[in-house]
Amino acid sequence: MKDITPKTLIGYTCSYIPVELLSATGLRPYRLLHGDIGLSKEGDKSVRIDACPLIKSNIAYVLKNRSRFAALVGSTGCDMSRRMNDVIKELTGIPVYVLNNPRTDNARIYNDEIDWLTKQLQQIARRKFTDQLIAQEITSWKSKREQLRVIDEKRKSTPSLVSTTDFHKACISYYQGALDIPKSLCTSPCDKPRVYLLGSAISYEANPILQLIENDLRIVGDYNCGLSRALNIRIKEMNFDGIKKAYYDQPPCIFKRPHKEYYDHIEISVNELNCSGIVAWTLDYCDQHEFEVQRIEHMIDRPVLRIRSDFSFQNMSQLRTRVDAFTEMLCAMK
Amino acid sequence: MRDEIAPKKIGLADWSTQFRELDDSLIKKYRYYGNSEWGIYLSPPATFMVYGARELRKLKFDNSLAALRLWGFTFTEGERLFRAKQSGKHVIATMGDLGTVPVIVMAFPDCVPFYPDCTWWTPFFNESTVLLDKAGELGAPEASCFVRSTLAAFHKMAYFPKPELLFASTGASCDDYSCIMQMVEDMGYELTWLEMPYRRDHSDYYIGDDYAATNQGLKYAKRFESYLIEEYKRVWQKMQKISRTSEPAQLIESIRKNNRLRRLVVKIKDVVYNAPIAPLPGLEMMVIEFGNLYGYADIDEWLDILEMVYETIDHRAQKGIGVLERDAIPIAWVTPTADPQLLNIIEDQGGRVVATEYVINQALVEIEEDIEPFSALARSFLNASLIGSTADRIRRITEAVNTGRVAGVIITNMLGCSHCAMETRIIEKELEKVPVLAIDVPAPLGITEQLRTRVAAFMEMLKCTTS
Repeated sequence: MKDITPKTLIGYTCSYIPVELLSATGLRPYRLLHGDIGLSKEGDKSVRIDACPLIKSNIAYVLKNRSRFAALVGSTGCDMSRRMNDVIKELTGIPVYVLNNPRTDNARIYNDEIDWLTKQLQQIARRKFTDQLIAQEITSWKSKREQLRVIDEKRKSTPSLVSTTDFHKACISYYQGALDIPKSLCTSPCDKPRVYLLGSAISYEANPILQLIENDLRIVGDYNCGLSRALNIRIKEMNFDGIKKAYYDQPPCIFKRPHKEYYDHIEISVNELNCSGIVAWTLDYCDQHEFEVQRIEHMIDRPVLRIRSDFSFQNMSQLRTRVDAFTEMLCAMK
Repeated sequence: MRDEIAPKKIGLADWSTQFRELDDSLIKKYRYYGNSEWGIYLSPPATFMVYGARELRKLKFDNSLAALRLWGFTFTEGERLFRAKQSGKHVIATMGDLGTVPVIVMAFPDCVPFYPDCTWWTPFFNESTVLLDKAGELGAPEASCFVRSTLAAFHKMAYFPKPELLFASTGASCDDYSCIMQMVEDMGYELTWLEMPYRRDHSDYYIGDDYAATNQGLKYAKRFESYLIEEYKRVWQKMQKISRTSEPAQLIESIRKNNRLRRLVVKIKDVVYNAPIAPLPGLEMMVIEFGNLYGYADIDEWLDILEMVYETIDHRAQKGIGVLERDAIPIAWVTPTADPQLLNIIEDQGGRVVATEYVINQALVEIEEDIEPFSALARSFLNASLIGSTADRIRRITEAVNTGRVAGVIITNMLGCSHCAMETRIIEKELEKVPVLAIDVPAPLGITEQLRTRVAAFMEMLKCTTS
């Protein structure tokens, strides 16, 4: 964070926005993944109290740091996230570009929108994105993802060698567009019950919650924004088409309709990773995930621990007790 | 009846008394689907209260025959849909887009469209949390839009018949309903998903897209039109498979008929909102606006009812008579209220609705008749309230505020509703020239004295500022 200089950032909000294109502008892609009770309360001044705390935190973060952002690229992912762009545009004057990310299977819209976005980004950069530049960016980000994958493999291994608490710290570097991903993390072989994490985004500030969960459990896989979702991007052709294909064909976000592929992906991952339980993390007023929690319990044949959060740490003691009880149950089931 | 009775708002008992004076032939005259055997719908509103709509006993209604038809017709919609199915019509659920897909469905004479979404009023009219509780059991969170009652209605299958086709529009719209539609699919219903693209604002710094404007002046990237056309053609193809008839000319005819309805509603709004004394209450006006979505499953009869409504209010306006006080405070209403009683309360406190934004702008605009029908539908849908920016959504309210037609604005929110949470502050800022009251619509039976006091204080303040 210390190396951030004015107007060097291009904010973005969604896993479907290709970081390679943002980076080709020469700006640093900075994913808006702030979630902090203080920021959230600040955000209450701009939106109603029943807005998602991630959205409120991000609005407050951008308002505080508006001089650092040259532009913001949003998407139509969830409704509040889409409308967050309106609020930021209205309150800051930062140029905002919202990508129409179709909810249904409609590659034509997505591809057209990436073409549109590329034109906007070229204008910001005042240069054409040549095939060579794009290939360079793909290589550079591929390398970062590879570094994260190495850590992720250790996390997934049996026994798991890296905690998600540590993995999250490495992910933060990626999502904040840092030049380097921390290559070595302490390995800590662990035989705690293996669980899978899914649900709302894990914010930059949510590390203590991961830590609390991992006091008793080991999260060996996840499907959350802010953690390993970026690792599902595997670009095969080193060009624009390769970017479009890789981002469009990634395992789908929960908001995609119908959501069968989402559950198929989760089920395969949970089985492959030999997880004995699921931790479903949802944020207050996060419709996409709140509506799905019961479905998750039905669809995936594993015990589920529901954690609902507003990013405050006020209920950490209760949460610790619930995690303890969940762990005991998983151990008893072995 | 029109000439004999002075216009006023009356309760159920008065309506029952008044109903006794109606001639039998008049009661038999009005029927849905033109069916004289089982299509009669004229009843005193108390009938519907007895059958479950308990809130009606707290409401006041316009005392005209036109209003009696309006209430009788809308409250028999469930019965009408079951009758439609029993008599061999195809009942088609159109969800989420609020106003465009039914125009295609209506092009097939043996098909009847309806919006399960409209079940959101049922818990309030019925003063019952049965549907909301069931939705909770099925997995819908408590802090979400009351439209979750739709989920329970699909589960119970008692509020409407099982649809033969379900079109589910998603995309740039509220999350709650998208999630509910997904849960409906999870129950085993087969849904045809349709994409509603986001109507991105035209900013000075955007390049590379050709822009066009809707007939309401909203700018959109032209290619978005083609995305919608593809979706509407898919609807047409699906409908062709289910219906015995599929003449393209019928789509043109359906557009014309829907335009007739839309023009008529514009005329009604124009008279009601501009007459010195309001000739019709706000509650009936909300029912009239929402009729544009699908004509309450019988557009021909609905059109006939609205012709009578227009005749009634035009007559009242010309005579300078109406149902509210001459000095009623003109207010704009943003986002429809799930609890109809709130509209009564505002009027009881001296308010008068003169402008609305009920998230159905797409259903209020005319569909072009001189271009290819699917393009026309796409272009009309691009006026939709929720697919674009908040500023665009409330543009007409802003104009009404700027021209001094509106003294205050009421926003009715739902706790946990994605667009309410994000839009309210922007709306308050956009409309800062006039006082704005944002209310959270409480759950059924939840209107408290505290809420009434807030409304009363707001209206008092407006009276002070306008006097």
